[in-house]
Amino acid sequence: MFHIPSGILQDMIAHARELAPHECCGILSGKNQSVAETYRITNILANMSDGDLSRFEGAKLSDLQRLSPEERADIAFQMDAREMAMAQRDIRSKELNLIGFYHSHTFSPARPSQTDITIAMEFEGYRQKLNLPEPLHLIVSLEHTDKPDIRAYRIQDSQATEVQIQEISE
Amino acid sequence: MIKVRIPTPLRPMTGGKNEVEIAGNSVAEIIDNLSSAHPGIKERICDEQGEVRRFINIYVNEEDIRFLTGKETLLKDGDEMSIIPAIAGGR
Ligand SMILES: [Zn+2]
Repeated sequence: MFHIPSGILQDMIAHARELAPHECCGILSGKNQSVAETYRITNILANMSDGDLSRFEGAKLSDLQRLSPEERADIAFQMDAREMAMAQRDIRSKELNLIGFYHSHTFSPARPSQTDITIAMEFEGYRQKLNLPEPLHLIVSLEHTDKPDIRAYRIQDSQATEVQIQEISE
Repeated sequence: MIKVRIPTPLRPMTGGKNEVEIAGNSVAEIIDNLSSAHPGIKERICDEQGEVRRFINIYVNEEDIRFLTGKETLLKDGDEMSIIPAIAGGR
């Protein structure tokens, strides 16, 4: 069970709405199982060159190649690496931990896609070498515009398992 | 020699290896030497201006080179360099 203040849940939904139809992305910090802060990170996908797209694989890569740069950000996100590093440094300086990553699905349910799982597993390999804690993966779905849905998952061994989140009213 | 960790998307260029041993004294030198051993890999890591691409972080041991001295960061025998794409995903 993870505890997330309602203000932070609202902020993630607001972020998703501001960027829709593009996917938004960000980082959550906190201590133990409680989220303390969010960092909005730029989705740089629309500004990535065609060569950079090879960072994605398989069906997602061919989908992206078919779309215009603007449309690409509707179906995927790529965090700005510099902002991600700055956020991690800020988290460390506050003696908090990286708790997880969030992104939005503007037209689909709050469930990890195959791409989400593949890249989360890729990250698993790196983060163990870098001594980072296992992140939670949150998805904000705007599929039903008047009823946004946020769900959290652990992704291990290429399997996503939903983790309950409890809203904490402030 | 420096152990360089290769991210998944670049492994086709290193014959599938996730780690390679490369000589060099600085991050910049290691990227150049890595590219001599595995042609084309530098273009995937750096843009036309030679800057590390916006979706990639480079770590020396456990520290991001941005918080050291960037591509001029010096390495010594036994250090490890990791090339890591920032998190991404999709629907
Ligand atoms: Zn997703």
